[in-house]
Amino acid sequence: MCNETPPRYTSLAKAGRCYLRPVQNPPTEGLEDDAALARRIAQAQPGRARGAEAELCRRLAPRVRLYGLKHLRDEHAAADLMQQVMLMTIEKLRAGALRDGEKLASFVFGICRMSVLELRRGGLRREQLLERYGEDLAPAAAATEPLFDLERVAGCLEKLPQRERSVLLMTFYEDKPADEVGAQLGLSAGNVRVIRHRGLTHLRECVTAEGTTA
Amino acid sequence: MSAPCQHPIDERALLAYWLGEMAEADEARVDEHILGCGHCSARLGELVALAGGMRDAFRHGALQVIVSDAFVKRLARQGLQVREYSVARNGSVNCTVAPGDDVVVSRLEAPLGGVARLDLVVHAPGLPAEVLQDVPFDPARGEVVVSSNMAQLRALPSLRLRFELFAVEGHDKRLIGDYTFNHTAHRA
Repeated sequence: MCNETPPRYTSLAKAGRCYLRPVQNPPTEGLEDDAALARRIAQAQPGRARGAEAELCRRLAPRVRLYGLKHLRDEHAAADLMQQVMLMTIEKLRAGALRDGEKLASFVFGICRMSVLELRRGGLRREQLLERYGEDLAPAAAATEPLFDLERVAGCLEKLPQRERSVLLMTFYEDKPADEVGAQLGLSAGNVRVIRHRGLTHLRECVTAEGTTA
Repeated sequence: MSAPCQHPIDERALLAYWLGEMAEADEARVDEHILGCGHCSARLGELVALAGGMRDAFRHGALQVIVSDAFVKRLARQGLQVREYSVARNGSVNCTVAPGDDVVVSRLEAPLGGVARLDLVVHAPGLPAEVLQDVPFDPARGEVVVSSNMAQLRALPSLRLRFELFAVEGHDKRLIGDYTFNHTAHRA
C-alpha cells in the first residue's frame, strides 16, 4: 500500500531522530490535495489506488506521529499509533467509509482519538496489527532526514543567554508547561513564555543559519 | 503535496499546544488542524525536532546550564548518574568527574532573598573570567544549581576553579558568595 518494498519499522525509528527541517510552503500546482487523494482511494477498487494511498500515507504519517507524541509522550507508542491509524484510515477509505473527502482531517482525528484510548488500554500492538491486516497493509514510514547535528544544536544553545538556555532546557527536556518551569526558577509563567519564545527564535536563527558554524 | 495554510497557527499557540497549556477544546481544534495541514504540522515537527536536539545536547553533556533542584532530582530518578557538590557560601570543595558520571552539578549556597538579578563569574587559571549574566534562580531555595559541560569538565587538568556570585542592583554589584572548587582530573 504505502511502501512497495517496506522495511516496515526501521525508518520509524529514524523518524524520531530528526533535528530540524526548515519549513517551506510546498508547491501545489498540478498536485492533488489530501481530499482528492482520499476520494481517489474511495472510488477505486480496494487496493487499486496504490499511488494515492502511498502519497496520502506519506503526508499523513508524520502528522499522526506528532499527534501520538503529543498525547502519548513516547516515541515507540507514537510509532505504534502511526501504524494503527494509517492502517485503519486506508482500510476505511477503501471501504468507502468517508463520504466527504474534505472531512478527511476530522475523520483521521476520530481514528487517532480512538486509537490513543486503545493504546493506553494496552490494546493493539504492531504484531496484532500485522496479523489483522497482513503484509499488504504495511504503512509508510514518516522518515525525515536529520539536517543539523548535535554539535550544532549544542553550540547554538551555548551561545544563548543563560536565562534563555535554562528556560529552554527545563521546558523541553520533559516538555513542561510554563507555570511548572517558572515555579522552579523563580519566574512567573508569563515571563517563562516570553523567555522561551525569544530563546526559541534565537536558537532557530542560529541552527538554521546557512554557511555558518554554531 | 499539501496546500499552504490559510490560517497558520501562531507560534505561541503551537508552543502552548505542545506543552499542554491549552484548554481541552482548544487543544482538540489544534489536533484536528495539525492532522489536516501539512504546513503547520511541518512547523510543529520542526519544533519537536529542535526540542529533541536540546535533550540530546544535554544528555551528551554538551551544555553548561543553570537548572533547578527539582530538575536534578528528576534526572537522578530517570537513572542518570548525577554527581553533586554542595558548596557553602565562601566555602570550598574537592571535586572530580568519573567516567560513569552523566551529569555533574554544583550547588552554590547563597542568601538570595531580595536579590533581583544575579551574575555568576567563573575564574579558571590562565583564562579570562567568564561572566554569566542574569542567571535564573529561585530565591526561596537559597542556592544556584549549575550543571556542568561534561566535555569541558573531563578535559580539565587538576586545578582550582573559583565561582563568584554577584547581586546586581542598577550599576552596583555586590559579592554575595565565593566558591572554590579543587578539581582533580580523573586518572584511568
